[in-house]
Amino acid sequence: MALTPAGLLAQAAEAASQGTVSIPAYGSFPAPGNRVAIWVAAQVHLFFAAFVLGVPMFAVVAEAIGIFGNDTKYDKLAKEFTRLLLVSYSATAIWGAILAFGLITLYPGLWSYLARIFAPTMWVYVGLFFFESFTLYLYYYGWERWHDGRAKLMHWSLGILLNIWGTAVMFIANSWLTFMMSPPAEVMPDTAPGMVRLWSAFANATWMPINIHRVIANVVFGGAIVGAYAAYRFLTSKTDEERAHYDWMGYVGNMIAIGTLIVLPFAGYYLGREIYEYNQQMGITMMGGFMSWAWIIQAFLIGVLFLAGNYYLWVGMGRIPGAERYTPYTKWMLVVLVLGVIVWATPHTMIANRDELAAMGGTHHPFLGVLGVMSAKNTAVNLMILTTFLSFLLYRRANKRTVVPWARTGTMIQTAIFVLAAVIVLFYGVYGYFVTAIVRIGFSVYQVLAVLAAIGGVVTLDIMIMRGAESYGAIRWGQMPPRSQYALLILAVTFTWLMGLMGFVRSGIRQHWHIWEVMRDTSEFAATPPLGYAAQVISWCVVIFLGLVGFIFWVGSLAEKPITSHPRQDSLPSTDSRLASAPTGN
Amino acid sequence: MWQTNLKILLVVLGTLGLYTWVAGAIPQVASEVPEELTFSDDVTADDLVMAGEQLFAGAGTCTACHGTGTRAPNLLTDHAGEGTIGQRCGTRVSGLDCKAYLRASLTEPAAFVVEGFAEMVFQARAFSDAQIWSLVAFMQAQGGEVTVTSDDMERTDDAAAGTSAPAEPSGDSPLAASQTTDARVLLQENLCLSCHAIDGAGPPLGPNFDDIGSARTADQIRRGILDPNVDAAPGFDAMLGMMPATFGQSLSAIQLEAIVTFLAARK
Repeated sequence: MALTPAGLLAQAAEAASQGTVSIPAYGSFPAPGNRVAIWVAAQVHLFFAAFVLGVPMFAVVAEAIGIFGNDTKYDKLAKEFTRLLLVSYSATAIWGAILAFGLITLYPGLWSYLARIFAPTMWVYVGLFFFESFTLYLYYYGWERWHDGRAKLMHWSLGILLNIWGTAVMFIANSWLTFMMSPPAEVMPDTAPGMVRLWSAFANATWMPINIHRVIANVVFGGAIVGAYAAYRFLTSKTDEERAHYDWMGYVGNMIAIGTLIVLPFAGYYLGREIYEYNQQMGITMMGGFMSWAWIIQAFLIGVLFLAGNYYLWVGMGRIPGAERYTPYTKWMLVVLVLGVIVWATPHTMIANRDELAAMGGTHHPFLGVLGVMSAKNTAVNLMILTTFLSFLLYRRANKRTVVPWARTGTMIQTAIFVLAAVIVLFYGVYGYFVTAIVRIGFSVYQVLAVLAAIGGVVTLDIMIMRGAESYGAIRWGQMPPRSQYALLILAVTFTWLMGLMGFVRSGIRQHWHIWEVMRDTSEFAATPPLGYAAQVISWCVVIFLGLVGFIFWVGSLAEKPITSHPRQDSLPSTDSRLASAPTGN
Repeated sequence: MWQTNLKILLVVLGTLGLYTWVAGAIPQVASEVPEELTFSDDVTADDLVMAGEQLFAGAGTCTACHGTGTRAPNLLTDHAGEGTIGQRCGTRVSGLDCKAYLRASLTEPAAFVVEGFAEMVFQARAFSDAQIWSLVAFMQAQGGEVTVTSDDMERTDDAAAGTSAPAEPSGDSPLAASQTTDARVLLQENLCLSCHAIDGAGPPLGPNFDDIGSARTADQIRRGILDPNVDAAPGFDAMLGMMPATFGQSLSAIQLEAIVTFLAARK
């Protein structure tokens, strides 16, 4: 213990308690100051951590598709990304060290307090990180050696193990930060850290909601970065083969990112509910206090995500023979999405001073107040999710000709399910205006269940309807206009920025507390800055992260062999085996 | 090649610039740290109101709920046709003037919950006595007369010093340090009548005081005051835990017996 920073500080704190050593509460970092220094270190570390946790999930799934679908291009894709992980792990560790040393030198009091509670978990963390790193080395460098048969399955198991280590590491780190948000009720300002029960502090109120939210968000983030990488490589490709390969890769990344994004709001809802359960004042600060405008910005960003994700799919349908029969519907889907974004981004409850209240003529704007309430917002977001799902469905069906005799009936049932789900969402949205708040909150559950049931039912039916489907022609991979790739880049930038914003919200709702109502922030940076300031810091963090990721991608490209064959035109990612014999559209 | 790279760079930076601009274009609200307040003996009403306004709109995060009209009653504008908070505070609870009502509302949020709203989540323990009084002064100034003075702060400071748990809101009842032995006055000062009805009037949140002597002995009443959360009175199981358990500290023995005798006699 004495050799680690945590151990040293724990000893120093012990000595301090005996009056022999004095630990200052805060260190000093030159402009822009302690807060921004720690903020940037934590945020960039988190970006990399999300990347190195999200991409292995992506890789292991891709490898599984390659193994069980007997499709080598997925295996190559998995390996291509695992190679990037090697350098990314170093970057993650470097930024983790910067964060740890920043905390030790700039916030020694806080670090000492946390170390005295969490010291055992810090050792476990280090151990798991060790195993994770060496599992990664085995996973990557053993790729070619363990290539066939049982050896390949063992190799795939290494990928699963890599994910288990990584997730466990994240869960431990999450316990430290969630303890700062939601320390157990028995921990008071005068409670000695040595008296805090470790498991009670570890499994605090917001720990599991954050774990779940981050696991899902990491998959989304990994998919988005994969998409951005593919877009960059597509735009700079010199051959058709390369373009075809990276076009396909971008499609896979986008599908994972947007497909998983659909689930993320439900995890966010769970997290928000637990924050309210833990401390209502904290919940209100988050949703209606000085953070209320952050949700308007979030709505704007998610609107961009939905629009860019759908736009990419619609443009992509241009390279799918048979997709033209769905093209007329896209403008209506666009209308639903735009209206949804407008409603979702309508401000409602927020801090207003007396002059602003007077200017509005009341507590809500007379026009916007109707659209800004949760009934309208929940309705909007659920309809946007349904619309996006419809985009995916049309994309999936674009080049398929059904052969089962009941296909028309099945499609009508699918349509009915869509309509029914939309009606349920709208019904509870309107009904919500006529009931009390507590009843209205319960309606959101019915709306979500209707959407999830519709997605499950439609997908199940679609798999059955498309059994044995014939092809209108193979997807012309690589024949995408460049603007579609810029949509993928915007998706990645937006996801990254959104992560930064949500990180600010999660951390900022502690306000002037290092540890909520246990340890006050008495430094000159105790106040939580407004969104405009936060946005600048977030943007700098994103620039640093993307700059480094760009460098990592470039380094990775130095070692790769040129692509000599593009994905087989007849092996589509989401189609059945009969398409293999379908004629190409070229 | 370099043109493509430049385009990509511009798209990335343009997107970041747009988001940064949008976040900077909206109203900028920071979460401030509550300032420690110290007032001299000659503090003016304006000083108190100004400090209270800063707290109300800033670190107190009061506007997160008061002002929306949905989570909590409006304080700065009319609520339910009764005017602003300064206009209606004096008539909210019979027997409590505006100042006492506002202070009790802050320190004991469960005491007077306005119909149609949930209990306030304001945590008085996070604020100093001077901060609480400045908030009271600010709210009085919203259409009413500011009557908070430095004497109020001295009195509650003294009261707090005389209790074993000065930081607890329940130990800061408006006139906790009163020396009166008049049971009726004590019931009023200690906010008992916010939950118990007497003389046929008052909320039915606790047992009615009009005939409590026929249902409970003096010993039971005394135990109920000193340790209220052990046994619920018949029919009030759901209210168990609501009554403060601090009267053993805030009342003198003579005051306690005065209340017990008074209530036990009501048959």
